[in-house]
Parts: sequence; C-alpha cells; structure tokens
Amino acid sequence: MGIFDRTTKGQVTPAIEVTLERGALQFFAETIGETDPIYLNPKAAQAAGHPDILAPATYAVVVGTLADQQARRAGQPDILARINGDLRVLLHGTESYTYHGPMYANDTVQVENEITDFTDAKGGALEIAHITTRILHPTRGLLVEASRSLIHRLPEEDSP
Amino acid sequence: MSITPTTAKVGDTLPPLTFGPISRTTLALYAGASGDHNPIHIDLDFARNAGMDDVFAHGMLSMAQLGRLVTNWAGQDRLRGLSSRFTAITPVGATVTCTGTVTNRFEQHGRVLLTLKLAAHIDDGTQTLRGEAKVCATPS
Repeated sequence: MGIFDRTTKGQVTPAIEVTLERGALQFFAETIGETDPIYLNPKAAQAAGHPDILAPATYAVVVGTLADQQARRAGQPDILARINGDLRVLLHGTESYTYHGPMYANDTVQVENEITDFTDAKGGALEIAHITTRILHPTRGLLVEASRSLIHRLPEEDSP
Repeated sequence: MSITPTTAKVGDTLPPLTFGPISRTTLALYAGASGDHNPIHIDLDFARNAGMDDVFAHGMLSMAQLGRLVTNWAGQDRLRGLSSRFTAITPVGATVTCTGTVTNRFEQHGRVLLTLKLAAHIDDGTQTLRGEAKVCATPS
C-alpha cells in the first residue's frame, strides 16, 4: 500500500489563528523579487487606499505553513504529519487559489485545513493527497481558499 | 499601447517576466521567507540521500512569479483565481520566464472576467509550470 495515512480523509483541522507580520511579508515580497511598493512600503500602500502592505498572491501558502508551525508549537500534528507525508519522495503536484478579499499586514486570520481525498495515478506509481485550506478573517469573512495536491513517488515495494 | 484587463482581447499576451538565475542563496532565502523548510530544496546531503543529484527550487517560488506576472499587469484587486500544475523540477541556476495569454473573455454574474493561460519555462526550454488565472475585467 501507499505511504499516506488514508484514514485521515475527511478530517478538518481545528482553526488556527495566524497574524500576518509586516516584516515577514516584506521579507517574502523581497525574496520573490517583488518591486511594487504596495507590497513593501506601508506609506505607499496607504496612499493607494490600503490599510497596510498587501500580501502577494501566493502568500496564502505561507499562511498555511505558519498555521502548521503554530500547530506543532501547540503539540498538535501539522498537516504533513497528519497524512504521513514523506519528504524524501514528496512532490508538489498542483496549487490553486480562489480570492475573495485581500490579506494585509497585521491581519489576524483563522486557518483551517481539510483533507479532502487521496487518489492514485500512473498505475499506482504515484499517490496523491488533496488538501483544501481556508483563510478566514473575523469581520471580512473568507479571504482565500487554497487547494493543493501533494504527490508521493512510491518505491516499487510501497505501490498499492 | 499596452493592453489592460478592461481592453484585453482573446489572444493578447502579457508582458513576460523573468526571474533568476535561481541560486542556492535564493533557495535559502525562500525557505526562510516562506517557512517551507523542506530540506530537499536547501540541504544537498538530504537531496542526495533521497536519490537526487542536487537540491532543486521550490515550485512555489516559480508560482510566486506567475502571481507577479498577473498582479503587476492587472493589479491584485482584479485577481480572482490563480492555479498551477508543477510539471518539471526547476534546477539550481535556472532562469524562469513567465508568460500569459488571454484565452477567454466572458460575463458571469454581471461581471466581465478574463481567463489567462500561464506558463513558466526555464532556459533549456523545459516547461516547469502550467497555470491559469481568472482576472476581473469590468471597468472600474
């Protein structure tokens, strides 16, 4: 059989609170080569009508990772531990975002993960975990819904 | 005249964006900035133990470039959706070129939306990401 723990299908993790720190957002924007000041400079962001700097489009994945860190610090399993992901053979298959509203520096959001499904591909050579992450703001509601697939390249003896 | 979301037609292309070359330093910084500490991207010993010749770039670093391609053109307030399939590994040293083409312009719930087909390629021509974006094209 595969490596993922398929008994976790359908699990929804408890919501985890994450605050988007401005310095962390700036570090991320700089690292990906972003130059638009609305992602870097609070004054420029405010001049453009925003309360603070914006989170770049793919920062949703980071918010999910920050929630995982919070889970581990609280003694809870993170999403990879829940599904029994093995980093030696793990690949990122797909990543998808639906945007309902912007995320800003100093926002405190709630993050919940749902393990939606496990599937197989390439005659059992690959197994795929499907995970949906929802990022919610207490007053602005759902901001981003993210879906991702994580793939195990299975050694022959582990193929289902 | 450069195209904008409100004027874009099917077949129009976005100004391309390049990023790189992606060094080991870039990968170390991205690991820190994103919180993705998967050692397959930053620890050569771990990568070799896992059967790889070398570390390779985070797929999400390239997807961040697809995000920049679209938001630099349309503005983030118009971005409704962004998705990507990671089709090949991006090796250390690669330069990533991101491209986008308008493939559909349609109305939904009283708004005009664009579908953009996105791609990331590296220097040797390998396509590393295949993506799509949904952009609001209603005049503001």
